Amino acid sequence: MLQQVTLSIDGAQVEAVRGTSVLDVAVEYGICIPHLCHIPSLSDFGGCRLCVVELIENSRSKVTTSCTLLVQDDMVVRTNTEKIRKLRRNIAELLVAQAPNSRAIQDIAVRCGVSQVRYPFRNESCVLCGRCVRLCTELWSARAIGFVGRGKDRHVDFPFGVRPDVCKQCQACVQHCPMTITPCDGPMEPGEERLCGKCEAQLLIAESAPDSCIWCELGVGFGCARHAS
Amino acid sequence: MSTTSLEAILEGRRSQPQELIEVLQDVQELFGYIPQESMISVSRELGVPLIEVYRVASFYKAFSLEPRGKHVITVCLGTACHVRGAARLVDQVTGQLEVEPGGTTSDGLFTVECVNCLGACALGPVLVLDGVYHDHMSPRKLSRLIEAVRSAEEEVAVRAEA
Repeated sequence: MLQQVTLSIDGAQVEAVRGTSVLDVAVEYGICIPHLCHIPSLSDFGGCRLCVVELIENSRSKVTTSCTLLVQDDMVVRTNTEKIRKLRRNIAELLVAQAPNSRAIQDIAVRCGVSQVRYPFRNESCVLCGRCVRLCTELWSARAIGFVGRGKDRHVDFPFGVRPDVCKQCQACVQHCPMTITPCDGPMEPGEERLCGKCEAQLLIAESAPDSCIWCELGVGFGCARHAS
Repeated sequence: MSTTSLEAILEGRRSQPQELIEVLQDVQELFGYIPQESMISVSRELGVPLIEVYRVASFYKAFSLEPRGKHVITVCLGTACHVRGAARLVDQVTGQLEVEPGGTTSDGLFTVECVNCLGACALGPVLVLDGVYHDHMSPRKLSRLIEAVRSAEEEVAVRAEA
């Protein structure tokens, strides 16, 4: 039998099955925690850091990623404190500076309240969210791609940079890549990167209710778990 | 010869994925680097996906994916060595061997590497030549050291010809 636990998310008492993550539970209950690297049914590794929450233990708070935080009885989690909003905004700002040519990331930046980007734009084509790697490894068991190198040289690649026979060219990695949808105005050339901010009109409700899921259209772009389920 | 040695390394470790790093270390010791073919053999024999072998091999700095020179000079650029003039050692070695850090000389004799700390700060500036620590180095001592290795190599070559 599935064991139920009761925990508090943003003051609401919610019931959840032991073994699920706080992110999954929150999304299921309509509490918005922005996330990028999380795909339902795949393992989580806390790569994008967007889903940070405050875990309150013994009247002290600890910031941790909710996708790797498993629910426990009497857990107290806050997803929308001033501290978390600030951290999340900064993470989204860094992501959009790293890869402005992604509608998914531009959307997340808007959702997280980024109004200006203080970091130099890098215009990279990867944010190392690892969606493709985990899909290939876990869902298809193909293990054709993986992380190579480390530190600033870390990137996703085939073994020796050559497509191996185990790759069936199923394109699942491409379909789930947040970089494949370009911003509405088309790709930005190096030197003309900017914060798109086009979707602000959609977010008038979001501003008044940053903590609850409003089924925003943005979720469609980056494959928010709420839309996937 | 190389195949039999690789066989020897794999002996008793087949189908044991947890032995991956040990096997790669032995391969590194045998060839001086990790060739692609051995990665493919290791992947097949240990039952580890090839991407996993490549990921591990490319992650650790102890593994080299490029052939390395016969002698490896590792210059420490840690804080203690830096303030005692490690940069001058790098200048000396790059000038004398005409190779950038991380590279190998065209005759395949020397590979020059820079690391962030060797953990021997009291001996700084320190460098390692083929596993031997040389303490309190100066550009002049380093130059003599390189010349000594080079002349020893030449002697071996002359003897081999004779």
